[in-house]
Amino acid sequence: MTTTEAPPSGTALRPPKPTRRRSALRRRNALIGWSFILPNFIGFGFLTLLPVLILFYMAFTNWNVFGKADWVGLANFQRLLGDGSFRIAFLNTLYYSVMHIPLTIVVSLGLALLLNNKLRGVAFFRTAAFFPYITSIVAIAVVWNLLFSPDYGPVNEILRAIGISSPPGWLTSSEWAMPAVVIVSTWRDMGYYMILFLAGLQTVPRELHEAARVDGASVWQRFVNVTLPCLRPTMFFVTVMLTINSFKIFDLILVMTDGGPGQSTLVLSQFIYKKGFEESQFGYASAAAVALFFLCILVTIGQFLWNKKRSA
Amino acid sequence: MNRKILAAGSIAAVAALALAGCSGGTDAAESADPDAPITLTLSGWSIDTTPEFQTLADAFTAGHPNVTIELKEYDPAEYNTLVTADLAAGSGPDIITQKEVKYVTTFQEGGQLLDVSDVKLPDGIGGADSYKVDGVSYAVPYRQDSWVLYYDKALFDAAGVAYPDGSWTWDDYADAAEALTTDAVKGDYLHRWQSTVQGFANAQTGTDILKGDFSNLKDYYDNTLALQDAGYQVDFNTSTANQLTYQGEFGTQKAAMLLMGTWYTATLIAQQASGEANDFEWGIAPAPQLDAKTAGTDNTPVTFGDPTGFGINANIDSAKVDAAKQFLEFAASEDAAQALAEIGITPALTSDAVADAYFAVEGAPSDDLSKFAWSTHKVLPENPTSSKTATIQGILGDLHTAVMSGSTPIDDAIKTAEDRVKNEVG
Repeated sequence: MTTTEAPPSGTALRPPKPTRRRSALRRRNALIGWSFILPNFIGFGFLTLLPVLILFYMAFTNWNVFGKADWVGLANFQRLLGDGSFRIAFLNTLYYSVMHIPLTIVVSLGLALLLNNKLRGVAFFRTAAFFPYITSIVAIAVVWNLLFSPDYGPVNEILRAIGISSPPGWLTSSEWAMPAVVIVSTWRDMGYYMILFLAGLQTVPRELHEAARVDGASVWQRFVNVTLPCLRPTMFFVTVMLTINSFKIFDLILVMTDGGPGQSTLVLSQFIYKKGFEESQFGYASAAAVALFFLCILVTIGQFLWNKKRSA
Repeated sequence: MNRKILAAGSIAAVAALALAGCSGGTDAAESADPDAPITLTLSGWSIDTTPEFQTLADAFTAGHPNVTIELKEYDPAEYNTLVTADLAAGSGPDIITQKEVKYVTTFQEGGQLLDVSDVKLPDGIGGADSYKVDGVSYAVPYRQDSWVLYYDKALFDAAGVAYPDGSWTWDDYADAAEALTTDAVKGDYLHRWQSTVQGFANAQTGTDILKGDFSNLKDYYDNTLALQDAGYQVDFNTSTANQLTYQGEFGTQKAAMLLMGTWYTATLIAQQASGEANDFEWGIAPAPQLDAKTAGTDNTPVTFGDPTGFGINANIDSAKVDAAKQFLEFAASEDAAQALAEIGITPALTSDAVADAYFAVEGAPSDDLSKFAWSTHKVLPENPTSSKTATIQGILGDLHTAVMSGSTPIDDAIKTAEDRVKNEVG
């Protein structure tokens, strides 16, 4: 990383411009900047920012989508603390994230390292690894449901063939449903994060690798001491994005298991959706959404502080 | 400075939006002329394959030429959410079709439904109680489906099993399923919905799910799991993985028996005519009963089903209210029932004339037992009309997937469900 040096104090670089022209220039630059941001920001502002701000208000009311929202103070949050389903959803979300995040990082980093070579056909493999990310989620759910079918599905056929006599029930078993969802989710996300890692790997200076090889470092030592440190910014970005996306996971679980069997794959986003849209308790669902927001933000702040300490 | 303005502006916007409430009102138009042309909008779904809305609209406007009825189509899977969104935005339909009873209280508590207690209903119409809250009627039923047993006469003949005679209990049903199962055919097909087990369990034991006691479910789940384990019925997990359709399983003769709502009759007739389903003789029988007390054609079998009805948007133009109420009265009448029966819909009002019209449709079964099963039964509502119903049905849905997939034993699942009701509904 390059550092900029501050110019020695007291050095005059050029005579100062008259004040009016400087502020006019600054205003013009600001206007140009705003005109670039504004189209996207207006959309973001009305469709995302405003509803989120309203959500914070709604969390303290008992709105049921029609009529007035009566203020109930902290009643929704007290109810959340005692709600068994909320606890299950919270724990399931943590369970999913703890499994999904390391697995995806390892798989996508591995793929990126493999595909970082200039082999013939590497472009094809990079595209193929990215395909799951852009495939329709419903198609993914249907196909993986068939693959995971406990009696007839290929996954269990293979497991039986290699000697596992009673393979897991996958999506039909309350213990194995979440691991099954994590596998599919990792398969879907690996392409995207692989691309990010590939970009990061391009910034690793080849001279460092050469130097390490000359010094007699093994492949693993080179990976740990050269590649990983250079990848830290990318790794940080991937971890933060992956964490936030894992906490917010919704669509894959909705189409694959709908929270089942029972409540074994119920996650926070789904809890919010059920309470809001299926039971019309929008105030309560808003409170749960606020809880999810604080979970994401606290963990992200933690990651930022950790990263700051590491790079200091 | 800019940031402060932005912050103040957004806070003001939030406050304004929050205080403004949600439902928009329409201005009341003054009109005393009863023959002035009136347009009513009516919400429906799958208009192409669900002809009942157009049929009712046409039949009504034939007798009331100054009224035009426009159908507003909604996606059937997300009907309630979409209608809710329109109502909250003030652009809801004038006549709100109540697709599911469990959403009636949401609309009613939100002040979206007009009091229609003064709409005259014919005697003997079924399902009207589902739309009453605290003694006030908020909608009028026009359709009342019930769950019956469909059976494939050809497969029964091939297996040498006697047709159902209206006196079956669940044990008789299990015996028949065993006798009918061959390598190619399963005795019965049970669809994945929680209704297929819980509907019967609650109606036939007279259980009110709002009370939160679900011990009645045990026997029913034990029975169906036994059928599944013995191989007479497709496994719930296989059905889920392969996304089997009940129309496909029964229609292509992969199963000899099917417990389903009476709405399937019209579909099966249409599919047999188009070739999507095999050409075979079939009939309907009363659903298997809990015990001999309600079984047999000299008793009244107990089954379940919810009505479908029309409500009126509380924000409707006051000039349109009379026409809307007349439409509701018509929809519940014998004339409308005849029109609906002719297209294979089970109306809320049944009579001999209506039954004749229903079974006169080409392709409908013609035996007496089918007519008995369709017209003589005690239909208990699957969803009690209460604001707690949606939550409790969600909890019971989780119980259903846990038990049918084999991942939780029924006793544990019942205990979990009962605890959850105490914890989440109170």
